[in-house]
Amino acid sequence: MPLPVLRIEKLCKSFGNTAVITDVSFDVIPSEVIVVIGSSGTGKSTMLQCINLLLRPTSGRIFLEEKEITAPGVNQDNVRRQMGMVFQEFNLFNHLTVLGNVTIGMVKVSGIPAKQAKEKALQELERVGMAEHCEKYPAQLSGGQKQRVGIARALGMDPKVMLFDEPTSALDPELTGEVLAVMQKLAAEGMTMIIVSHEMGFAREVADRVIFMENGTIEEQGIPDQIFSTPRSERTRKFLSVIRPGKSV
Amino acid sequence: MKEFLAYAKMALPDLLQGTVVTLELTAGALLIGLAIGLPLSLMRVYGGRLIQPLCTAYLTVFRGTPLLVQLFVVYYGLPEIGVAFSRMTAAFLTLGCNSGAYQCEYFRGAIQAVSTGQMQAARGIGMSRLQGIRHIILPQALRLVIPAWSNEFIAMVKYTAIVFLIAVPDLMSKAKILSSQNFAPIQTYVLVAMIYLVLVGALGLMLHVVQQKLAVPGLDFGMDKR
Repeated sequence: MPLPVLRIEKLCKSFGNTAVITDVSFDVIPSEVIVVIGSSGTGKSTMLQCINLLLRPTSGRIFLEEKEITAPGVNQDNVRRQMGMVFQEFNLFNHLTVLGNVTIGMVKVSGIPAKQAKEKALQELERVGMAEHCEKYPAQLSGGQKQRVGIARALGMDPKVMLFDEPTSALDPELTGEVLAVMQKLAAEGMTMIIVSHEMGFAREVADRVIFMENGTIEEQGIPDQIFSTPRSERTRKFLSVIRPGKSV
Repeated sequence: MKEFLAYAKMALPDLLQGTVVTLELTAGALLIGLAIGLPLSLMRVYGGRLIQPLCTAYLTVFRGTPLLVQLFVVYYGLPEIGVAFSRMTAAFLTLGCNSGAYQCEYFRGAIQAVSTGQMQAARGIGMSRLQGIRHIILPQALRLVIPAWSNEFIAMVKYTAIVFLIAVPDLMSKAKILSSQNFAPIQTYVLVAMIYLVLVGALGLMLHVVQQKLAVPGLDFGMDKR
């Protein structure tokens, strides 16, 4: 068993008196693709934001390559740099071109010289099929194109793990394919990924492991075939039957 | 008409001297206002529970009292407690501090118009809060603020006119003197109005060009696209 890239131990997050995540623990091994499914409001996005410390966990510990990132005194900016985050609403920097969006982190955060950053950015944009649009501004792109740039921006920082927060939920159905294809390619290249998604077909095809969350905790996890064909938990079964009404499980 | 032109020819050199002072006051006040307003707006948006009330207090005082009262307090009032300024300094300070309060609110609006996702994404690639503000939030907010800020610019050209009440030799002061020396209020003040109009028109045009130069697709709020 290889050492985990990421280890989450008894993660809890509350807002005031409302517990959003309770006692979530799991390991992520290198090149593993985990798809997190579950109804809205079960804390999936909150969990992702806790993992890269955009939200401060209430309790629990998170380790990135054996180092505890939730320990006091850890440089959180440095932690976030090592984890790529892709947002549901893309959040491309509106005042920068596609190229600028990918290079700004490399230049201002990693301190890579502008010329080198540009070369590397073009490579990342090539990976997501957006190199030819590098001079455009976000407002001139379709949703699918924006999200692919969002992925390239995260890749540019050479992340140890990529976190996707419902990357296709804000897209028109005909645009989700191009983004999922890029993600599938990344998975095939060996990128470690945690993906919160409602795309069951994608989960079944690409995931190494599916985690089903309910009420802020992990209800069931397993390989996709097992989760989708023979779910152990009654709740998982119920959720899947609502999501895919045609198929009985 | 001929009479007016002759009068204008006589009065213009003096009035133009005053115009220079008016422009100096406008530029100085806007710069002081910028130096106060921008940091204040950042404190108001990102500052903690201790800082925000201080900002609010500043805004309440400077936006809640007449500019003229502020000018008199600074020029006539403060010397009584041992703080005396020259006319010009008093004018710069008052106009600048006042403008700072208004500029703060313009900047705050523009900063808050940049979506919260922008900061999240900045933090997501490892930027600190300060880097996020500097590289992501401000470049967008400063573009969004131009239309509102132009308003402050144009208003300031005209607000400066009140400094004639502490005898700063601006355009209005010169006009007052000329008008009473020559018993020509109509000619003088029409001429002065025309000068203000030309100033405001030229500055408005200038700001429009700046706005166009800085425009980015999707961030061209308030731009005329035709």
